[in-house]
Amino acid sequence: MSKIKMTVNGKTCTGDVEDRVLLANFLRDELKLTGTHVGCDTSQCGACTVHVDGRAVKSCTMLAVQADGAQVTTIEGLAKNGKLHPAQQAFTECHALQCGFCTPGMIMTTAALIKDHPKPTDDEIVHGLEGNLCRCTGYLNIVKAVKRAAELQGK
Amino acid sequence: MDQHVHHHLFEVEGAHVSRLEDLRLIKGEGCYAADWNLPGQAHACFLRSDHAHAKIVSINIDAARKAKGVLGVYTGEDAIRAGQTKPLSMLTFAGKDGKKALIPERPTLAHGRVRFVGDTVALVVAETALQAQDAIELIEIEYEDLPVVVVAEAALAAGAPQLHDNIPGNLCFEQEAGDAAAVDAAFAKAAHVTKLKLDCTRVVPNPMEPRACLAAYDAKSESYTVHVPVQGINMMRMQMVAYTGVPEDKLNIVARDVGGGFGQRSIAYPEYCSVMMAAKALGRPVKWVSTRSEAFMADSHGRANYITAELALDKDGTFLAMRLDWIADLGAYLHPAGPVSPMRNPVVCLNGVYKTQALFGRWRVALTNTSPVSAYRGAARPEIAYTIERLVDESAAQMNIDPAELRRRNFIPPEAFPYKTPTGSVYDIADFPAVLDKALKLADVKGFAKRRAAAEKRGMLRGQGMATVIENSGAGMFPKDEILLEVAADGKLTAYSISHSQGQGHETTFAQIIGDALGIPAERITLRQGIGEKGLIGNHTGGSRTIVGAGTVCHIAAKKLIEHATPLAAEQLGVEPSQVAYAKGEFKSSESKKTITLGELAAKKPLSVTGEGKFGSTFPNGCHIAEVEIDPQTGVTQVVAYVTVDDCGTVINHTIVEGQMHGAVAQGWGQIFGENVVYDLETGQLLTGSFMDYAMPKAGWINDITIAEHTTFGTISPLGVKGMGESGCTASLGALTNAVMDALRPLGVPPLDMPLTAHKLWQAITAAKKGN
Amino acid sequence: MYAFQYRKATSLKEAGELLAKDEEARPMSGGMTLIPTLKARLAQPTQLIDITGLAELFGIEVRDGQLFIGAATRHQQVADSKVVRDALPALADLANNIGDPQVRNRGTLGGSVANNDPAADYPAAVLGLDAKIITNKREIAATDFFQGMFATALEAGELIMRIAFPLPKKAAYAKFPHPASGYAMAGVFIAQTADGVRVAVTGAGEGVFRWTDAEAALGKQMDAAALENLTLSTDNLNEDIHGTREYRAQLVKVMAGRAAAAVAGK
Repeated sequence: MSKIKMTVNGKTCTGDVEDRVLLANFLRDELKLTGTHVGCDTSQCGACTVHVDGRAVKSCTMLAVQADGAQVTTIEGLAKNGKLHPAQQAFTECHALQCGFCTPGMIMTTAALIKDHPKPTDDEIVHGLEGNLCRCTGYLNIVKAVKRAAELQGK
Repeated sequence: MDQHVHHHLFEVEGAHVSRLEDLRLIKGEGCYAADWNLPGQAHACFLRSDHAHAKIVSINIDAARKAKGVLGVYTGEDAIRAGQTKPLSMLTFAGKDGKKALIPERPTLAHGRVRFVGDTVALVVAETALQAQDAIELIEIEYEDLPVVVVAEAALAAGAPQLHDNIPGNLCFEQEAGDAAAVDAAFAKAAHVTKLKLDCTRVVPNPMEPRACLAAYDAKSESYTVHVPVQGINMMRMQMVAYTGVPEDKLNIVARDVGGGFGQRSIAYPEYCSVMMAAKALGRPVKWVSTRSEAFMADSHGRANYITAELALDKDGTFLAMRLDWIADLGAYLHPAGPVSPMRNPVVCLNGVYKTQALFGRWRVALTNTSPVSAYRGAARPEIAYTIERLVDESAAQMNIDPAELRRRNFIPPEAFPYKTPTGSVYDIADFPAVLDKALKLADVKGFAKRRAAAEKRGMLRGQGMATVIENSGAGMFPKDEILLEVAADGKLTAYSISHSQGQGHETTFAQIIGDALGIPAERITLRQGIGEKGLIGNHTGGSRTIVGAGTVCHIAAKKLIEHATPLAAEQLGVEPSQVAYAKGEFKSSESKKTITLGELAAKKPLSVTGEGKFGSTFPNGCHIAEVEIDPQTGVTQVVAYVTVDDCGTVINHTIVEGQMHGAVAQGWGQIFGENVVYDLETGQLLTGSFMDYAMPKAGWINDITIAEHTTFGTISPLGVKGMGESGCTASLGALTNAVMDALRPLGVPPLDMPLTAHKLWQAITAAKKGN
Repeated sequence: MYAFQYRKATSLKEAGELLAKDEEARPMSGGMTLIPTLKARLAQPTQLIDITGLAELFGIEVRDGQLFIGAATRHQQVADSKVVRDALPALADLANNIGDPQVRNRGTLGGSVANNDPAADYPAAVLGLDAKIITNKREIAATDFFQGMFATALEAGELIMRIAFPLPKKAAYAKFPHPASGYAMAGVFIAQTADGVRVAVTGAGEGVFRWTDAEAALGKQMDAAALENLTLSTDNLNEDIHGTREYRAQLVKVMAGRAAAAVAGK
C-alpha cells in the first residue's frame, strides 16, 4: 500500500492504494470520476486518456502511485467555469460522437493535440489519433472535430 | 454533399449541441454499465476455459474459497442447481422436412465439458475486484482434451468431433427456401453460370464499452435489479427470464448510456445470469466488469457465414436463377437469436434488387469449438447482399458486360412496386435505376479509366467497384412498439421508449419527431430509455428498425396527445372541443381567443398518453461505389473514394444519418481489409485475442465519404421512414471487394475472399505475376 | 496484476542496489511494455523500481560528434528536441512514430532499448548507427548489446544511463506498421557514415539485425533500384498469421528502398 497525493482537476486528492492499482481505477473507483473509461486491457483504445502534468497519457497504463505528486486532468475537469473546452464544443458540433464511450479519451487526446499543433494538418490529426479507437463514427467526424477544435481554440 | 447537410444545433443548458444526448457525454457525465455502483457491492471475476474442447475431470475450489476477501466461488454444479441451463432459443420455426432445431444446453457455468476457449468455468466473488482476480488463479482444474473443430464445414463432415450429445453431426438446423426444380431448369438452359465460394469471415463486433453487470437481489420482494448494457430492456428481460427462471415481474433491468451495440448487446449472456445467482446467494450486490480480452473470447462474434453461390444468366446477361449452399457457423452454443439472422434475413431479400425469378438455397446451422455467434450490424443482410453483388460483378467481368449496365438490365423496375419477390417478401417502393445513376455520377465513373491509367503510371493498381443492395428493416418480434408521453407543468415533455440507443441518437431524433408533431422545440422533450417500471411494450433497437417502429410511434403518440388533450383544454377554456385549435404547444379557443398551454393543462391534472403501432418490413436500399488503389509492392489498399447513395425514406436528421453511414462503412472496411477472428485449427486457441492482433479501423482509413440520398417515401410508416443503421455494412462489403477485384483482375488474380489484407493481396499479386 | 511493491529510486546507486539485492525486482521506466505485461499476469515481480526520477538519466546533448540521450527521455521529448532534430532528424522522426502520442508521452529510450522487443523501433537506430549503450557499469557496443528476442547484454542491476549515437552524414528510417498493434512488421534504419552504409532491420526477425548485402549495394548506389536484385534470406524471419517470411522479406526490401530514397533526398 502507498499513500498518494495528487491534484485532480484542480483539487488535492489523497488516497491509500495498493501499488498495483492503475491510475484509471483510482480515478474511477476511489475518486468516482467515471468519465474516464476503460475500453481495453492492452493499452490500445485510449478511452482512458487523461492529462498528467499536461501530457496525454493512458491512465490504464500508469500506476496510481506513479502519478503521486502530479497534476491530473480528466474529462470532468476540462470545461472551465461552465464553459466547454474547444475540444468538447467541437466534438458535439461536428457530430464526432455516437455512443460516447470513446469520447472522453478522444476529447482529452484532442485537447493535447491542438495544444501541440494549433493548426493541425490532416496527417498530424490522423497521427495524433493513432492511440484512440472508436467503433461508431468511422473517425471522419472526429478528424473534422479536431480541426474545428483548433479553430475554436484560436478564437 | 453540402446540400444534404442540414446541420442543426440544439441549445441545451446554454450550450450548442448536435444531439440532445451530447452534453453529458462530452463532459464525462454519461452513465455506462460499469459506472453503476451500489452500497455493499462485491466484485466478480470469471475463470474461463483455456481449452477449446475438453472434459472437466475435476475442479478444486478449496484454495480459492479460502483466499483473502473471497465471498463465494461458483461452478457448473451451482449453475445446474440454479436451473440455469437453457438459454432462450428464438429458432422456433420448422426447417427442412418440418424438423425443428436441435438446441444445445448451456449451463451458465460450464458443467462437465468446455466447448470453446473463453467458456465460463467458475465465478469468484470477493470484496474487491483484485481479490477476485487473485483467487481465480487458485482454482485447480483437470481437463481431458477432446478433439477440436473450429471450421464449420469440417464440423459438418463425417467423423467430425461431436460438441453436444443431442446434436448429431453438429447440425442444429437445416432449411431450404425457393424452388429447387425451377432453379435446376433455369441452370440447365443458362448461357453462362458464375460460381463462387464466399467466406463472410468471423468478426468481433467490439463496441467500445466492455460488458458489465451489476446485479442486486432483494430478499423481501424476491426480486432482482440488474444493470447491464442493452439494446432494449424487454429483449434482455425476456431472455434472462428464460435462462434464469426468475419471473418477469421480479426482474427489473435498468440501463442508461450504452457504449455501442451492433447486435452484440441484445443478448442475455451466461455471465449476467451467474452474477444474478451470486447476488442472491450472497445477499449483496455483485458487480462484474469484463476486460477486452474476455470480450474477444466470449462476447458474441459476428458473421461467420460460408456460402457457395451460383448465378445463371442468359446470353444477354439476364439473371435466370441463383442457387446457394449456406453454412452458418454459430460457435459452440446458440445465442438466443444467433441462428435466426442467417436463417431469416437472407431469405427475405434473396433476390436482392433484381427480378431474378428462380431462387433456391439450402441453409445449415453448424456448431464449432468457437465463441457463439450472433447478430452483428446487418445480421446476415450484408452477407446475402455481398453474395449477390460478388456474383453480379464476377458475371459482368466474365461476360464482358459493364457492371452497371448488367445491374440495370436486371433491376426490378420502378413501376413494378409494390413488388412481390419469389420468396414472398413485398418490397413496397424503390427506384433502383435512379439510385444507381446518381451514384455513377457522383463517383465519376466516366472518368475512371483516366484515373486508372494515371495510377498505373505511379505503379499503383486502381479499381472501382459497386454494390446495389436492399435489406429488410422495420418489423420486430414484440407485438407492438409503445411510446409514453408525459407532460409536465412547465410544458416540458418526457417520452419513454423501450428501444434503446447504443449511440444512434434516439434522444435527438425522437424529440425531433415529437417536437415536429407538436410544433414545439425538440429541446423541450426528454427521452428516457431503460426504465422498466412504466411497463411499456417495445422492440429493442436492432435491425435498423427503430425509426420505423418507436420513431413512428413518437409521431403517433404526439398526435394522440393533441387529440386526448383537446377536450380537456376545451373544458378549461369553457368551449366545445370543436372550437379549440391546437398549435405550437397551445390550445386556443376560436371564440374567446383564450388560450391554455400543454403545461398549464398538465398543472391542472396529470397529462399523459401512450401511443402505439405495429409495422411490417421496410426496404431501405442503395448503391455504394468504392475506388481503391493497391500498392503491388506491399499489397496495401487505400480507399481513395467512396460514394453512397441511399434510399432510407424520409430522413429525420441528416447529421445522424451521415454519422451512421460513416460508422457502418468503416465497419465494412474493417471486415474487408483487416478484421478477422482466427482460431488455431488444431488447438482451437484464439489467435486474435486483442487489439494487438485484431486490426480495427483507425483514423485515416479513408479521407472522405461522399454521401447522398435518393428518397422514395416508405409506405409502411406514416413518416415515410425506412431505417438505415445497417445499410453501410450491407453495401460496403460488396463495393469494396468488387473494387479490389476490379483492380486485380487485369493481372489474372482469381476471386479472393475477405479479409483482403495487404499480405493476402501481395501474395495474390505475386502469384499472378509468376503465373504470367 | 499480481501484487508488488513500488519504489521510486532516489539515486542511481540505490536503484542498482535494490535490483541487485532482489532478483525478482524489475526496473521500471515508462512502463509502456511492462505495465501491459503485468496486467496480463505474464510477469510477477516482487518490486518495481521506478528510475524515472533520476536526474542523471535525462539530458540531450551533442558532444564530440555524438548525440547523447538520457535513458529516461520520453519518446516525445526525443521527437520534439531541437537538438535531436538538428543533429539527427532521422532519430526524431523514428521517435515520433513509435506507438501513439500517449505511449510517446510515457515510454522512454532506455526502456525500449533494454526491453529489446523484436518489433520495437529504437533498436534499429541503435544498431544502424552503431551507438554505444552507456550503463551504470560500462559501455556496450550496439552489436554486442542486442542478443535476440527480448535478450540483451544487460546484467542484473545494470541500468542504461544514456545512449551515444555517432552522428552519420545522413540517415533515415522507414517502417511498415502492423495493422493492429502499430509495431514494426518491418522497420529499416539506414545510416550513411564516413565508414560506409549501415542497414539495420527490426520487426521482421527475432531481433534487430544488419542486412549486410543491402549495406554493400546501397554503399554503391543509394536508392531502391540498388536493392532490386537482392533477396533477404528468410531463414531467420518471423512467420505468423499476419505475414509469411517471404512477405516480411519483401516488406524489408520495400522499406529499405523507401529509407534509401529518403537518405538520398529523393
